[in-house]
Amino acid sequence: MTQPLLKVDRISKRFGGNQAVKETSFHVNKGEILGLIGPNGAGKTTAFNMIAGYLESDTGDVVFEGVSIKGRKPWDICKAGIGRTFQLSKPFGDLSVRENIMVGGFARSADRKRIASRADEVVDFLDMKDVAEMDALDLTAFDRRKLELGRALATEPKLLLMDEVVAGATPSEATEMVELVKKIRDTGVSILIVEHVMHVIMNLSDRVIVLDFGNLIADGNPHEVVNDPDVMKAYFGEKYVQQSA
Amino acid sequence: MFGSATTLERALILIVAAFLVFLPSIVRDPYHIHTATMIVYFSFMAASWNFVCGYVGQLSLGHSVFSGVAGYVTVLMFTQMGLSPWIGMLFGGFFAAVLSLAIGFPTFRLKGPYFTLTTIAFAEIMRIWFENTDNFIGIPLKGSEGLVVPLVGDSFWAFQFNEKLPYYYIALALLAIIVIATAIMERSKLGYYLKAIRGDRDGAEALGINPTKYSLIALSISAFFTGIGGAFFAQFFRYINPERNMGIDLSIDMAIMSIIGGQGTVLGPILGSFILHPIAEVARTSLGGSFLGLHLVIYGAVLALTVLYFPQGIIVPLRKLLARISGGDVK
Repeated sequence: MTQPLLKVDRISKRFGGNQAVKETSFHVNKGEILGLIGPNGAGKTTAFNMIAGYLESDTGDVVFEGVSIKGRKPWDICKAGIGRTFQLSKPFGDLSVRENIMVGGFARSADRKRIASRADEVVDFLDMKDVAEMDALDLTAFDRRKLELGRALATEPKLLLMDEVVAGATPSEATEMVELVKKIRDTGVSILIVEHVMHVIMNLSDRVIVLDFGNLIADGNPHEVVNDPDVMKAYFGEKYVQQSA
Repeated sequence: MFGSATTLERALILIVAAFLVFLPSIVRDPYHIHTATMIVYFSFMAASWNFVCGYVGQLSLGHSVFSGVAGYVTVLMFTQMGLSPWIGMLFGGFFAAVLSLAIGFPTFRLKGPYFTLTTIAFAEIMRIWFENTDNFIGIPLKGSEGLVVPLVGDSFWAFQFNEKLPYYYIALALLAIIVIATAIMERSKLGYYLKAIRGDRDGAEALGINPTKYSLIALSISAFFTGIGGAFFAQFFRYINPERNMGIDLSIDMAIMSIIGGQGTVLGPILGSFILHPIAEVARTSLGGSFLGLHLVIYGAVLALTVLYFPQGIIVPLRKLLARISGGDVK
């Protein structure tokens, strides 16, 4: 097997008495969409933050393209080729949508012309031409999400970490987002996605991993994973699994 | 805001600029020239403050320390080493920029009120130290008494003029420089980055931005300009003391003028100074004797009204009005 794009090796994070993530290992292959699911408080966002450099893992290592990135700062990790979106997207005010996307472009180039034309490409890609010159703070919640995605894409990532991209979206918006994520993958970007909405995860992911109380409890194709008794137990409790057995 | 300015706005900016250039041919009274110089000086100081604070969205109330330190460097280099204040001014500016890095490195990790309080603390510590130090390793600081710039008569080299007029034009040239510098910065990578940091610090980091690094770059430029302003002030009055040139009043003036005019815009701070300084001046001259500190009460009232009705500064409704008149779109 070829080397995975991202290898997370026994990472842990303890906040005081709370072990948010415990010796968790997983990997993202090149070109794949990996879904990360788990009940509330399972440590998904903490794991994300450890990959993206917002938190440093207490143990183990995070290896991207064969190089350890553990302990590196978020801006260095961005430059290494990992982009991310947040649960709450806050556009940069006093800048248009297009200019917001340009902010990401400066990470790769100092040439304004190149950055501007790249931003136009991203605007087209996201189908946001109509709002491109609008102040980003005037966008609807869903357009804000798309814009955040666009900013991350402008940094030309090889791996994109996406945190709950369809939270609060209408069904048609969710469908649009699913198509968009697939389109991003088709451009050669690998994706690690955290999501609560199951049908989005089932639709998108090539593979799903499940975190529960900081432990990795399942890893496999989406349909196998959702029928895994351990996963059901984590989501619905012991009783539910016994009843349905 | 230059990039998105409407034709009418550009025309208005040019008219105001031309008015300022030709003002002394209309107004000849030295007192009025003096007041005009002070308005331009405060515009310059507010714009210098805005260069970092307005764009990165952090409230510094310690900027006067850069003005004071650079003023002292300029005056001391002149009196002790015989160096022209023009050169001393640049040294002072650089000194202020270096000092700003030392202050900014720990403080820019702090947010909101913590940042503000720390800037006040640094500036006040420096002011109190200056006030209580007569002699520092052989440098005569003369404590709270301050330093007088010895009179040498009309001399460009010594930055001394018998008339008020040259000072006015020097202040105006400085103002033009900071306006152009801010307009360039706004359209550069630094401007985009500062607005990103202001909008969402974590989000900015995810896009490859090191917030501390870019805040410090902007702060050092801002401190440099503030220092130049401080040196100008010392030359204009031929006198410098810790309270006037380094005190918190000056820091507050810089911040409030920017906030009222419109921080994070090229021309907002200048608008703020043009509105506030005349009000303060009138209050001081007409009621000064009987009602000390009245201008501060007026500042407070204007600030409260602005924050209530135009939270982004007076420049925002003004620009909208201009856009409506010219029938153009506002961004």
